Amino acid sequence: MKTLLTILLASSLSTTAGAKEIKLLNVSYDPTRELYQEYNAAFAKYWKAKTGDDVAISQSHGGSGKQAQSVINGLEADVVTLALAYDIDAIAQQAKLLPADWQKRLPDNSTPYTSTIVFLVRKGNPKHIRDWDDLVKPGISIVTPNPKTSGGARWAYLAAYAYALETYGHDDAKARDFVKQLYKNVPVLDSGARGSTITFVQHEIGDVLLAWENEAHLALKEFGADKFEIVTPPLSILAEPPVAVVDKNAKRHGTLTVAQAYLEHLYSDEGQEIAAKNFYRPRSQAIAAKYATNFSQLKLVTLDQEFGSWAKAQATHFADGGVFDQIYQP
Amino acid sequence: MVAIKIEFGPEVRKKTKKTENYMKLNQLILAAVAGAQFVFPALAADSEATNSTGAAQSETPAYNAGAAANNSPEAAEIEALKQQVQALDQKIQNLEQQREAEQQAVTNTNQEQIQELNQKVRILERQHELDKENAEDAAKTQPQLKLDSSGFTLSSADTNFAISLHGLIQLDSRTFFNDHNLNNDAFLLRRARPIITGTVFHDFDFNFTPDFGGSTVQIQDAYLNYRYRPELQLEAGKFKSPVGLEQLQNDPYTFFNERSLVTDLVPNRDVGAELHGDLFGGVASYAVGIFDGAPDYNSTTFNTDSDNDKAFAGRVFLQPLKTSDVNALKGLGLGVGGSFESDRNGTSGLTPGYTTDGQQKFFTYATNVVANGQHWRVSPQGYYYYGPLGILGEYVISDQDVKAGAALADLQNRAWEVSAGWVLTGEDATYAGVTPRHPFNPLAGGWGAWQVVGRYEELKVDESAFPTFASSTASASSAHAWSAGVNWYLNKNIRLNASFSHTVFHGYTGGTPAVPAQAENVFFTRIQLAF
Repeated sequence: MKTLLTILLASSLSTTAGAKEIKLLNVSYDPTRELYQEYNAAFAKYWKAKTGDDVAISQSHGGSGKQAQSVINGLEADVVTLALAYDIDAIAQQAKLLPADWQKRLPDNSTPYTSTIVFLVRKGNPKHIRDWDDLVKPGISIVTPNPKTSGGARWAYLAAYAYALETYGHDDAKARDFVKQLYKNVPVLDSGARGSTITFVQHEIGDVLLAWENEAHLALKEFGADKFEIVTPPLSILAEPPVAVVDKNAKRHGTLTVAQAYLEHLYSDEGQEIAAKNFYRPRSQAIAAKYATNFSQLKLVTLDQEFGSWAKAQATHFADGGVFDQIYQP
Repeated sequence: MVAIKIEFGPEVRKKTKKTENYMKLNQLILAAVAGAQFVFPALAADSEATNSTGAAQSETPAYNAGAAANNSPEAAEIEALKQQVQALDQKIQNLEQQREAEQQAVTNTNQEQIQELNQKVRILERQHELDKENAEDAAKTQPQLKLDSSGFTLSSADTNFAISLHGLIQLDSRTFFNDHNLNNDAFLLRRARPIITGTVFHDFDFNFTPDFGGSTVQIQDAYLNYRYRPELQLEAGKFKSPVGLEQLQNDPYTFFNERSLVTDLVPNRDVGAELHGDLFGGVASYAVGIFDGAPDYNSTTFNTDSDNDKAFAGRVFLQPLKTSDVNALKGLGLGVGGSFESDRNGTSGLTPGYTTDGQQKFFTYATNVVANGQHWRVSPQGYYYYGPLGILGEYVISDQDVKAGAALADLQNRAWEVSAGWVLTGEDATYAGVTPRHPFNPLAGGWGAWQVVGRYEELKVDESAFPTFASSTASASSAHAWSAGVNWYLNKNIRLNASFSHTVFHGYTGGTPAVPAQAENVFFTRIQLAF
C-alpha cells in the first residue's frame, strides 16, 4: 500500500513538475466574445488533456479595423481572429508579423466558420421590413456600424451593394445611389458591431439593425425574443471571418505550437459545434446539418463574385476618399 | 304624456360648427317637446272623456266616428315628431362617433410626434456618447504637455517618447575676510545649465547638459541610458563617476554652495560606460563602470582620453531599512565607492590641485611630478535622514603612484567630512533636497522652508609628498574647515543660501601672500533657480 501510494505521488509530482503555463492573446473582432469564451474553455481542457500544459487565453475585442491597427501598433497578439481577410493582410503588409500567404495555411482560406448579414427588427416588424429595398424607404431608421472601423459594417455595406448590383443589372451608378439612400437613413454610426447592437437594443434607436447573423441571434437570446425578431433577406453576402497565427509574436512568446493548435482546433468537431451553437455557420457539413434549424436559407453571394477581391473592395469603397466617404455625410 | 330627455356633454359646448348644429337641434327638439306637452294632455283628456262616457259613445256612433277622424292628424304629427327625434338622436350619435374618431386621430398624431422626438433625443444622446468615446480614444493618441515645478515635458500619449527641459541657475557671491586682498570678492554665475532630458522608444533615456556658468562653456553631461529593467541598466557617455556620495548628489540639493574637501579626492565627471541598477525595490543600488579615468578634483572640460589606460569605478549603496516599518531608520543609507586606474608617465592623471570652500587652491604637486602607476580610491559613505534632520558623512582615501624624475612614491591622501542640516519649519530633509510645505507667499501666510546647516571637513596630504613631490612653500599639507549657514527654500524651484566657512591650513612654510598662509574666511550667498 505504501509502495503504491509512493508511486502514485511520484507520478503526480512528475506530471505537475513538467506542466507549463502558457498564455495566449487572441485579438478578435467585436461580436465574438461569447464564441471565444466557450471555445477557450474547451480548448484549454483539450490542450491540458493532450499535453498536460495549462493554457490561459486572453481576449481583446473591438472593431476589426481598429483591432488590426492595434496589432500593427504593437499589441502582442499571438493569434488574430478578425472579421475580414483584408485586416489581417494589413498586419502582414504593414507590420510584417506574418507571411503574406497566411490565408493558405488553414483550410477554407483560413475561415473555420462563416456568417452573413441579416436584419434585426422590433417585434411585430412594425415597419414591414422584408428586404434590402425596404431599408431605403423614407422614415426607416437603420442602425449599422461605421465601415471605416468595423468589419461587420463593411460586410453589411457590401451586402447592400451586392443586392443593388443583382437587382439593377450590375449598374454601378444605381448601386451607388442605392447605398447612398440607405446610409441617409443611418442616424448613428458606432465603431463596432457590438456598439451598434447596444444602440439598437438598449438605447432603442432605429427600426432595423444590420447585424451579423450570430449577433442577431444573441440579441434575441439576451434581450428577449418577445422584443425583437430576425428578418433574413432573400439575398445577403457570405461573410468569411478568417483566423491566423501572428508568427513573430508567437515565436517571441514561445507560443507558436499552441497558437497553431488553437486555430486548428476550430476545425475540429468540437470547435465546429461550438461555432454552430453560437450561430456561426460551421464549415463542417455534418455539424451544419445537425444545427440546420439555427440558420435560415438564403442566397449568399461572395465577395469575390461581386467585388473581385478585398483589396479592390477596400480601395474602391472604404479607403479615404472612396465610395463610402463620397456617399456618407454625417 | 311622453317625456323626452336629451342630455348634452360639456364637450358639445365647444364653439365649433358641430356645436352650432347641436344648438339648432336643441331648439327643434325643445319645440317638439313643447308642442307635445300641449298635444298629448289634450289627447289624453279627450280619451278619458270618451272612455267615461262609453254609453254615450255607443249611443252616439255618429259622434265617435267624428272624434276618431279628429285624432288622426295629431297622431300623425306625433309620429312625425317621434321620427324626427329619432333621426336627431342618430345624428347626435354619429357626430359623437366622429368626434371620438377625430380625437383619436389627434392623439395618434401626438403620440407619433412624441415617439419621433423620443427617437431624436435618443439618437442625440447616443451620438454624444460615441463622440465622447471617440474623444477619449483620440486623447489617448494625443501628445501630452506638462509644465510645472519639475520643468517642461512634452511626451507622446503612450509616454514612449518624451523630452523635458529643466534648468539650473546659481548666482553666487563670495566675500573674503582678512585675506590681505588676495582673493577677489565677487558675484559669479556659478552654474547656468539648460538640462535636456528625454526618452525614446520607452526604454532609452538621454541627458544633455551644457554649462554656461564659470568662464568657459562646457558639456557637463551627455549620456544615454538603456533601462532593460530597473535592476539592470546600461549608461554610456559623460556623466558622474560612481564614487563620491557628496559628488553624486545633485547640485541644487547640496547643503552648502560648495562641496566639501572630500570632493577634492574623488573624480567628477568621466567618459565611459557603466552597468547600474536598483535592487529589491531600491533597498540596494549598484554601479560598476569603465571610464577614461579622472584625476582627483578633475575639470569637466575634457571629453576624451589622453592615454590608453582606463579606469574602473564602482559603488554599492544600501538603504537596508527603506521598506521596513521602522520609520526612524528608513532614511539610513550606507555604502562604499571606489575606483582603480593606471596612469603611466602623464600629468593628466594628477590632480590639478586641492581647493578650499572658497575655491582657492592650497595644494599642488610640483611641476616635475607625473602620475606613474596605480591610482585607487575607496570611499565609505553614508547618510541619515529622518524628518527635518539630515546628516551626510564620507571618508575618502586616494592612493596614487607618482614619479618625479627618478623618485617614486605611493602617496595616500585622505579626507573626511560630516555635514548636517535641520529644517526649522519641520519639512523632511532628504538627499534630494527640501520641499516647502507652504511655498513663499506672504499674503497667504506662506514663508517657505528654512534650514540651518553645518559642516566639518578635513583633508590631509600624504607627508611623503613633501618635499620631493610638493613644496611646503607652495602648498599646505592639510586643511580643515568648519562651515555654518542657513538655506531658505522659497518653493520647490527657488532657494536662497547664506553661509560662512572658515578654513585653516597646516604645513605651509611659505610667506604671504598665499592662500595657505592664513585662514580663509569667506561668506557665501546664493540665489538659485532649479526646475
